[in-house]
Amino acid sequence: MDPLQRETLLRACRQLACHDWSDAEITELVAPRHGIITGFQDLLTQQDALRALDLGTLPPAEGVRAKVRDDE
Amino acid sequence: MSDGDLAFDSASDLGRLLRARRISAVELTQLFLARAEALNSLSKAFTRVTETEALKAAKAADSALARGDDPGPLLAIPFTSKDMIDIAGQPTSGGAKGFADGPATADAPVIASLRAAGAVSLGKANLHAFAYGATGENRDFGTAVNAYDPGRLAGGSSSGSAASVAFGLATASLGTDTGGSVRVPAALSGLVGLKPTYGRISLRGVLPFSWSLDHLGTITRTVRDAAALLQCLAAFDPQDPASAPEPVSDYLSPLGDPAPLTGLTIGVPRRFFFEHADDEILAAAEAVLLSLEGAGAKVREVALPEMTHARTVALTVQMPEALSLHASHLDRKPEVYSDDFRAGLALGQFILAEHFIRAKRIMTLYRRQTEAVFDGVDVLLTPATPLVAPEFGTVSTKIGGLEEPVGNAMMRFSTFFNMTGHPAITLPSGLSSQGLPMSVQLVGRYFDEAKLLRVASKVEEEERFRLPRPLLHRQEKAAREDGAEGSGLTRRPAS
Repeated sequence: MDPLQRETLLRACRQLACHDWSDAEITELVAPRHGIITGFQDLLTQQDALRALDLGTLPPAEGVRAKVRDDE
Repeated sequence: MSDGDLAFDSASDLGRLLRARRISAVELTQLFLARAEALNSLSKAFTRVTETEALKAAKAADSALARGDDPGPLLAIPFTSKDMIDIAGQPTSGGAKGFADGPATADAPVIASLRAAGAVSLGKANLHAFAYGATGENRDFGTAVNAYDPGRLAGGSSSGSAASVAFGLATASLGTDTGGSVRVPAALSGLVGLKPTYGRISLRGVLPFSWSLDHLGTITRTVRDAAALLQCLAAFDPQDPASAPEPVSDYLSPLGDPAPLTGLTIGVPRRFFFEHADDEILAAAEAVLLSLEGAGAKVREVALPEMTHARTVALTVQMPEALSLHASHLDRKPEVYSDDFRAGLALGQFILAEHFIRAKRIMTLYRRQTEAVFDGVDVLLTPATPLVAPEFGTVSTKIGGLEEPVGNAMMRFSTFFNMTGHPAITLPSGLSSQGLPMSVQLVGRYFDEAKLLRVASKVEEEERFRLPRPLLHRQEKAAREDGAEGSGLTRRPAS
């Protein structure tokens, strides 16, 4: 996976249906300087690692229900 | 019995005084309103104090007592609610001035339930704006400070909820918990923070942060007060899509049970949850474990799912959901959003849909793996946080060789249980050598808050885990009796 480029995000803003993000906000995502976020690149690297996980047919999480156990 | 005693009493203690006619609901409310006026400039606990409405509710409570109508343990109990929760006739600010388009038209069901129980709303509690962050920093209303050291954070995002109770400005508070935002500020402020099972308490009328992870929770002085609030608030709400149609247990009766915890097993996930944490906090957690073992419980080590990517999974779910929620306001009122939140929302914009869905599927995996652990144990125990309340201005921490942003550290042990949806409670485990609260977290099976609260009450019974009142209170009182203005304390800028 190539490192994320500022231009990639700017182009996405222009070509996909996005909100108006300032240059500074886009730059902060690619090269965080203010400690506001810890870096989009780190997140993407972890997303790439998560792709190796075989989830089979597991559905997305929805509500939770009580489980009846043998000891209850 | 001084004003200070009453301000730091539990709801159950105040209930006894009210029913013995040793104080009226109006007197009690006036006491708390006076403290809020005197101490809000220091604590930054409130975004809004609603004096007229509070006194009206207090008069109604006195009338009910005079008639012999007693709706239960919350009658006349003064509470605050995070300014994410609708109260009819008042704007819901989300912690940002100018965000609300107008006053809320109806009470959120949780507020309506508390009103029906006779509780008295004192006003709205401050927060990390829109619940985005653990530090409680707030550009518009100031940052809530820690009652045990005003140079430190109260914790967030329900910062004002914790500060209002810790400073003795309210007896209980409602907050929201998306990654630990009730449990963490409660833990850092020496209080009891309860996040019930996902869907146990209605979130209708509550400004969301992340639908998949949001929970309504309570901050109180005691486990019994947490149980009383949960008894009032737990209900199926067919108008809340996340609400669970599960029966509501009796949370209060088991608390007085003097029987030992024989037959209960406490699971200890040492990997991850007992790593990279302050030594004193770890020692306190071990002391709580020994205490529970002494009370008859079995203790055994368990392995929870691999946590390496847990924070990434949570972020991948919550930021696109937050962006979707705030989309229209972001375009119409961009000025109400702080730089930190805008940066987070911008991140949410560029998370791919497949990554979002994958993260929600991994949440299912986490739930199944954690449920399997609960086949062998009744309750899990972890430290509540790896650190005590950080000083203002702290950007990052390094504990046991792990360096991370301070907000990440504060939420490190809590966020996972927002993804699994299990009920969790934090409560004090003692005072650190710096004089700051330390806490443990107990996690229970789905909808088994009754057992969770019973185990927590066993911990609370031990004198050595209880905390003294914040020294601040005594200093404030002395300052006011001397007629001095302000606290006399040296404070750093709150934000």
